[in-house]
Amino acid sequence: MTVTDEELVARCIAGDTDSFNQLILRWERPIYALAYRQLGREDDARDVVQDAFLRAFRALPGFKGEAKFSSWLYRITLNLCRDVMRRAKRAPFVQAPEGVDVAELASSDTSGVESAEDAVTRKDLSRHVARAMSRLPEEQRSAIILKEYHGLTFQEIAELQGCPLSTVKTRLYQGLTVLRRDLERQGAGPVRAEGSRTP
Amino acid sequence: MNDTRYCGNPDVLMAYLYEDGDSSERLAFDAHLRGCERCAAELASLRAVREDLAAWAPPETMLDFRIVRDPAPSGRRWGWMTAMPAWAQLAAASLVIGIAAGISGLDVRYGSDGLVVRTGWNRAADTQRAASPAPGTAAGASAPWRADLVTLQEQLRSELKQGAPAPAATPVSAAAANGGKPMSDQEFMARVKQLIEASETRTQREVALRVAEVIRDMDTQRRSDMRRVADGLGVLEGRTGAAVAQQREMMSYLMRVSQRQQ
Repeated sequence: MTVTDEELVARCIAGDTDSFNQLILRWERPIYALAYRQLGREDDARDVVQDAFLRAFRALPGFKGEAKFSSWLYRITLNLCRDVMRRAKRAPFVQAPEGVDVAELASSDTSGVESAEDAVTRKDLSRHVARAMSRLPEEQRSAIILKEYHGLTFQEIAELQGCPLSTVKTRLYQGLTVLRRDLERQGAGPVRAEGSRTP
Repeated sequence: MNDTRYCGNPDVLMAYLYEDGDSSERLAFDAHLRGCERCAAELASLRAVREDLAAWAPPETMLDFRIVRDPAPSGRRWGWMTAMPAWAQLAAASLVIGIAAGISGLDVRYGSDGLVVRTGWNRAADTQRAASPAPGTAAGASAPWRADLVTLQEQLRSELKQGAPAPAATPVSAAAANGGKPMSDQEFMARVKQLIEASETRTQREVALRVAEVIRDMDTQRRSDMRRVADGLGVLEGRTGAAVAQQREMMSYLMRVSQRQQ
């Protein structure tokens, strides 16, 4: 039976450091993904992951369990991302590849699912999305990332962002609308399994 | 069918798009969508954006961050000392003190003028003083500690006779050759010095043995590290070769595809 986050937290508070390492193993990828999409830099995102877990570990005795552990971790991560952006005084910059890495494409598993052309198109689209996301205001971007990639409920996002539920939905709607226009202007569109684009 | 409750209402639209909301509201919006082309088009375009968003994935990276406990203070330098039993440590400490006392020529006397502690550097003056006996010397000869010292000498002699190690065998026979007479102070000190020298030799031998062991361990470690590095390089070379081959294959594939399109 899988041990819940809350059980691991309780064990860690009781002095079992390994339990926290299990929490790290469980959450490091989502936290890295969140930080990367917020900041757009792999090295910054890695640093944020490390800082977030360290902060969480130090603050764990004060964690009352009122929110889910994951929500608490997301909040720490978002605050750290905000700090990084503030320190750098810059908008997030997404590392968009200049060209397509042929070696990476060749090494990736494309057996019967995605042709090389599709992979190129997907990379291209990923670059467009990253650029468009980087242009969004931070609140809209956070709302979209938390909803789209982390599957948080509107209520959870509202608690994380400290705003009413309706504000979260408005931010999402506005963000998606701006993204749609931006992507249309760039001529990007979703990739189907067959490699065709939607009109 | 324009309905101000639904058309342009982000609350309803987002709840429907992400399926995160009241089911009755969802059903009602479903019914509205069937009659409102504008809302249906809006929903379709937002779904398309969501499909685009799915293409954005963060790059793969190594995340090997872990929380570790503070390592216990390392006693590796003197680890072999801690591995020794307590009695052996006590014996070693006594030996060191004995050697130090021997080197410094420590002399402890208890007489009419109280306890006197002298080192070897004061020995010359002490010898001179002994040559011209003071009035209290006669009393010193009959002091109670003299009897204790004789007892100690006897005890040492008997212990040496019983089971002394090889290096101590010669002095014991010398003592036996002495006809069983009590040793003079000088003979006794010479005997003690011999014992100390023998102990020093043993200690030096042990240290040399320990150093040899450390050197051997380091050499073994170095060899295994070198082997690991060599293995790693071999694997790397293999992977690089495979990657180059894959890249070449991919390039030729792309060339074929582009030629076919032309």
